[in-house]
Amino acid sequence: MSSGHEGEPRIQAAGLTKRFGDFTAVDGVDFAVVAGETFGFLGPNGAGKSSTMRMIGAVSPRSGGALRVFELDPAEAGPEIRARLGVVPQEDNLDLELTVFENLLVYGRYFGLPSSLIRERADELLAFMQLADRRQHRVEPLSGGMKRRLTIARALVNEPDLMLLDEPTTGLDPQARHAVWDRLYRLKQRGVTLVLTTHYMDEAEQLCDRLVVMDRGRIVAEGSPRDLIARHVEREVVELRFAAGTQDGAVARLAGVGDRIEELADRILIGTADGDATLAAAQDRGVEPESVLIRRSTLEDVFLSITGRTLID
Amino acid sequence: MVEQAAHVLSWHARSYRKSWRATITVAFLNPLFFLFSIGVLLGGIVDEGRADLGGLTYLEFVAPGLLAATAMQIGTNEGSFPVMAGLKWTRTYHAVVATPVRVLELFLGFFGWVALRIVVAAAIFTAVAAAVGAFRSPWAALAPLAALGCGLAFAAPIAATAGAVENSSVLTAIFRFGILPLFLFSGTFFPVSQLPAALEWAARVTPLWHGVTLCRELAGGTAELWPSLGHAGYLAAFTLAGGALAIRILQRKLLK
Repeated sequence: MSSGHEGEPRIQAAGLTKRFGDFTAVDGVDFAVVAGETFGFLGPNGAGKSSTMRMIGAVSPRSGGALRVFELDPAEAGPEIRARLGVVPQEDNLDLELTVFENLLVYGRYFGLPSSLIRERADELLAFMQLADRRQHRVEPLSGGMKRRLTIARALVNEPDLMLLDEPTTGLDPQARHAVWDRLYRLKQRGVTLVLTTHYMDEAEQLCDRLVVMDRGRIVAEGSPRDLIARHVEREVVELRFAAGTQDGAVARLAGVGDRIEELADRILIGTADGDATLAAAQDRGVEPESVLIRRSTLEDVFLSITGRTLID
Repeated sequence: MVEQAAHVLSWHARSYRKSWRATITVAFLNPLFFLFSIGVLLGGIVDEGRADLGGLTYLEFVAPGLLAATAMQIGTNEGSFPVMAGLKWTRTYHAVVATPVRVLELFLGFFGWVALRIVVAAAIFTAVAAAVGAFRSPWAALAPLAALGCGLAFAAPIAATAGAVENSSVLTAIFRFGILPLFLFSGTFFPVSQLPAALEWAARVTPLWHGVTLCRELAGGTAELWPSLGHAGYLAAFTLAGGALAIRILQRKLLK
């Protein structure tokens, strides 16, 4: 599995726009992805991530702007582009009646691969995705995590130059999620170019070399996870969690403590370079939270500081 | 294009290997039950009274009708829920169009599969009916093709409908209030001349009546070139218009 030469352009988008009637789902976004990197779209539901992915996947015509995938225009070269993509959609669309292996076989045929080659690759892919013992099982009764891994295996059957993963772990339990992350991390190590959307900041932090933060159809920030945190938020966060009804007036009393204060329904977050000192200062102001936590800043805090909202409502 | 459509067709064939048991009643058993109960047994009584069936025995009259009606049912079944499933339930159509396969090729592969299902069932029915003496003319050998035309004339517009509607209850309603009355009143079991004039003309514009009539004239040896081409053209028009519409609807739904 390879993704061609490092640094070769894979996706270039400029002013990319998608409208559904009056609603603008993607509002003029610019980004570029090169071979070998793992690129993420981070944002809450409805931010325009999936619409962007579908345009890249050449299954959704753009409403405006420019888009090139493998330096081809999806409006003109859909089948050529799709031949080189591996797509993991947000909702699994496996054939539930067929076996695990048959799903790979049927899918591989659409790429014009001979059955003998698909057979070989299927064995490798099922071993890689830890599904080898399920090869002859019907798909329907498999767990959500196994279906997701099979969908990823299926997307790899044509040895794609670019993988598109739309919310690859949404709906999975933590254990299944970690299993998927582990496999994606290995693909990344092998040099496969990955583009993924997520509303989980830990997913973005663990996997992405570079990401854009999307909100309401626009890109609001771009960089590596570490850059974004360094640029947009303080190093640490003091979280003050309050019992219901005891938070009123606390923000006013905390004025001037730390570098940045965000108030949420059940807690107050204080961004600061020094968590311990800030917590001590907060306690001096007489606020009485139920519990306190000092932690490193995350992409969640980046999103909150830019948009004033949380990633998962 | 043909190659990609063939891959889609072979996917359907592979899926069918898992589910064929559920389809044999509608495709094979029911038509044969009708053939024996209505055609042979009821027909024995009907023939005593010598109804005006253009010189045919009742078995000779009803067997080609059942053939066309069976094709209609398979076409309707295969064109309806499977399309809705591919689009909305299992979403397998979305998986297909994420590959180099185009929507047009997806549709042609699907439609080719429906055609194969109809023609196999029609050929089996024709063989059994011929064995019990239901056909007069060797032209009956063409009846499965006429039945195919009839089945596709339903499959195509139904597929367009299944693609367009949001709710499967619309499809259920089509079965109950469309297909069942057609089956009973469009000339399968009795000449439509038995109907009141207005209903007779309503029956004559349905694709089923054209399919039944074409099958019956072939099997009875009364088919003439131009009327037969007229029936075939009528069925082809439904197929082409329905198919073109279905392709457009699938494109709209799959390539939003």
